[in-house]
Amino acid sequence: MSYLNGLRLHFAGRFQAAPSTVNNDIMHFNNATFQPNYQEPQKGKNANGWWNPGGGAEWRLLGCTVQKAWLGPDSPVSAPDAVLGCVVADNDRRAPAKIVDLDPLQQLVSEIWGLEVRLCTPEGKLLLRGQYEVAGFMDIWDRAQSGGGDVGAGSMYQSVLTDLEWGDIGSSPFLQALREAASDNLLSIKFNVDGYNMDFKSPEFTRGRVVGSIGPATKNEPQHFTLGRQFIPQDTGKGNFFQPAAGLGFCVARVNETDRRIYLDLGNAIQTTVPGGPSSAQGDLQLVLANGNKPISAPIPYLKPGWYEQTAGVVVIPADRPLSDDELSVIKGNLLGMQFLNNGVSQVTLESPGGVFVRADRFVFRADADSAVTAHLWATKYGAPYPNATIVLEEDPSQLQAQTAPGNPQPALPTGVIGFPSELTADGHGRAELRIEIGDPEQYRGFIDGQVYALRPSLAEIGFPKTGFPLGTWNFISFLVWDKFPYPQPVTWLGSLQPIFQQYANLYPIMSRFLNLADPADVWANRELLYMAFSLPMSNPNTMPVTRDLSTPKRQAILSWLSHSDANGQPLMHLGTAANAPAQPSLTAVSDAVTVPPPQPERGGKAAAASRRLILQQAP
Amino acid sequence: MLLLKKSLVNDLTDVGNLRKALQIAIELEHSTIPPYLYALYSLKPGQNEEIRQLIRSIVWEEMSHMSLACNMLNAIGGSPEIDKPDFIPNYPGPLPGTVESGLIVPLAPFSPQLIHDVFMVIEQPEKPNNYPVNPKMMLATVDEPLTIGMFYEGIAQAFRELGEDIFTGDASRQVSSWRIQPVTNLATALNAIETIVEQGEGTPESPMDQGLMGDEELAHYYRFAEIYNGYRLIPNASAPPNAPFDQRYVYGGAPIAYDPGGVWPVVTNPSSATYTPGSSAQFAAQTFDYTYTGLLKALHMAFNGHPEHINASIGMMESLKGLALGMMSTPYTSDGKANSGPTFRYQPVLPIQYPPATNA
Repeated sequence: MSYLNGLRLHFAGRFQAAPSTVNNDIMHFNNATFQPNYQEPQKGKNANGWWNPGGGAEWRLLGCTVQKAWLGPDSPVSAPDAVLGCVVADNDRRAPAKIVDLDPLQQLVSEIWGLEVRLCTPEGKLLLRGQYEVAGFMDIWDRAQSGGGDVGAGSMYQSVLTDLEWGDIGSSPFLQALREAASDNLLSIKFNVDGYNMDFKSPEFTRGRVVGSIGPATKNEPQHFTLGRQFIPQDTGKGNFFQPAAGLGFCVARVNETDRRIYLDLGNAIQTTVPGGPSSAQGDLQLVLANGNKPISAPIPYLKPGWYEQTAGVVVIPADRPLSDDELSVIKGNLLGMQFLNNGVSQVTLESPGGVFVRADRFVFRADADSAVTAHLWATKYGAPYPNATIVLEEDPSQLQAQTAPGNPQPALPTGVIGFPSELTADGHGRAELRIEIGDPEQYRGFIDGQVYALRPSLAEIGFPKTGFPLGTWNFISFLVWDKFPYPQPVTWLGSLQPIFQQYANLYPIMSRFLNLADPADVWANRELLYMAFSLPMSNPNTMPVTRDLSTPKRQAILSWLSHSDANGQPLMHLGTAANAPAQPSLTAVSDAVTVPPPQPERGGKAAAASRRLILQQAP
Repeated sequence: MLLLKKSLVNDLTDVGNLRKALQIAIELEHSTIPPYLYALYSLKPGQNEEIRQLIRSIVWEEMSHMSLACNMLNAIGGSPEIDKPDFIPNYPGPLPGTVESGLIVPLAPFSPQLIHDVFMVIEQPEKPNNYPVNPKMMLATVDEPLTIGMFYEGIAQAFRELGEDIFTGDASRQVSSWRIQPVTNLATALNAIETIVEQGEGTPESPMDQGLMGDEELAHYYRFAEIYNGYRLIPNASAPPNAPFDQRYVYGGAPIAYDPGGVWPVVTNPSSATYTPGSSAQFAAQTFDYTYTGLLKALHMAFNGHPEHINASIGMMESLKGLALGMMSTPYTSDGKANSGPTFRYQPVLPIQYPPATNA
């Protein structure tokens, strides 16, 4: 089960994502060269702190409503079921969720942390509450035909809702059925985002369109992707992020033998004419057998007004009858494709080669030096578990975003920091646990903690071709590995913490509404609140730092400093006498002495980050 | 001074009535916070710093007073009702429990006049020589409105009369972090009341009270008076030992600087109609109200059996601070001369602005 299922609801509305953009440029992490204007919005050709330096990382659902719900493939939910028209809302009794990049060198898997998803009546009466398991976005592409850059991008988030709390659902047979089906107390949620507004003069600034689906989930399936027939577009290389060669973006279909239907999700696959606008006409869209392009579905009504909002792009095939045994048998044993047929010209997006596929469920990890993380891999063949599949793995930093200016830290170096088997065998259910040993980047990047790495899974029969990504360009695991951080006890401000706090004060100007993070007296005066914030789990929306880019030992050192004082109740500034104290670097003084690199406007948004991917820099 | 309806203290020896009185106390303590915060956040960053610190210290104590009232209600088996639309009073308007002809409290940016005409009136004690000798006798015979001090004295008197037997509440419902004192018996209940009254009004003998950190500090009324008068209140060195109370202190300490230019030009008493539909200011106001309502929900949880939710509440207060400061530093009128401010309305979901899909 998943949202891609007979029992499901579709919702549409707006979202807000308001990250701080000062940290989009890795050079802004350098305290020694940081300039005050990096905290100001870009003006003309001066990039300053990019398009939203005052952002607080909030992520919100705005005015989302249930558009349609289904009890099964042939059973649309009808009035007066309370689920129709109800609101899909976010956190209502804790701080808003946060949108967080992994790193300036990997900005293409931004995660949503601390999101609560609620279904409630328009008056706010609770019907359902669930906690969104953190997930990064996947499959970013150039969705709009105009608009360009981040504004024209589309992407999607898939996760599960846990800790379900049901309100009075007596007037919703749909929600009763959903509760019944959610036997593991899990729901599956997937939403597509596009039409993002980056114009700070617009009242819609930092907002965009979100359209998604919710259905039941079980523990025995991945949380962040759907086991199914994976259609893998190939990149023309002419877009900002990913421009599909055959006009259709990444999508997945699930053959449900019980329902005798195919559930196809085109939610993040149909181009729009303008950002957040209607679908762009590309011809007749049909599911076909790859061999001969024989259609096995009716043309999909993707141009019908309201189709996207009401279906979230989910199509049931066939719409009006079950599949016959013969049809099922053909579908199960043959490669499929998605075809656009336009004036006799056919463009087909094929299923993964041989129908085989492998992916890591969670694909974004943060890890301390000298630790280990476990990724869960799932191998499938024609959408079914691929028992005993031989999974192969390779470090692949090609999609990480390097800085081209000389002297800027590059990603994925030093090598040998993430340790993993080059090959492993899936179990009888096509599953494999991949343990990754994490080493120490040894402060390779100097002024910014740790390093980013990328690990790509494949299958033995596919391997790693020199060009192209048969299992999907974005199908890899991203890591932020933090440096070791040995710190002397007792922890002192000047001995251990000053550079950390100075960096946060530089990168997050919004914090100046609360305190000056670079001023130890101010930090000390707020120590109770800060102690709480630095000790909260990363999943909490109030955790500090909001960027979730501080290693465990650094957070421990901060907590230690916040909870110890000298004999006079004052904060510990330095060891020994004042004369021995290291001089506190003065921002202005240092800045005067260092040659400041000129701002590089192309560093600002995700499109700019995408343009710096190693694969583009190393093209033959 | 703020005058409360006399009926609030009728027959408080009935535990049901006592619980109702404590619910009013919770609402009353809460109702001062939005106007105080509105004035506080209208101060520009880095300016009028001393005034900011004084008001902020008072707001923190009002939050703690609300918590103490919740703890008292829980201690006698009640359930604080915080997550409900009418928990937030309408501004401008009277505060909960006050007489109809009483003070109208606005949401307004900081000004000395606001401090004098509203905030000092809210916190004003009854004149020392007018304090009743025996509140119960006074309540029975005097048909006049109550001060906040008299209201709490009525509650304290009921506690004393009813004794330990009414403290039947589940102790695990007590919030006891962030220096909020739990209430589990008569002694802790009377202590909570003393804290609330003394921090607000001081005592007949002295303007001083015990602060949250356990140190001596001025009661709210006198801190506001310091701001209004522009000088710290200090002991009057020239007063003889037997001088009347009102001559033992003098607003003659260090000056408290006030720069009118250090206040944002924030709209007074904004309502949902103040901001243009679809504007950034309307979005900000709605987001603030949604978050404020969320704070009430979190507090409701915290004081109804989930004390651990107090941390989420504090996190939301920080979110609200950021949202309010963002609004107040941003003009919303086309001439750029007036800045926006939060409306403090109950809003459990963000309004639906997205156009619903058109049916084919």
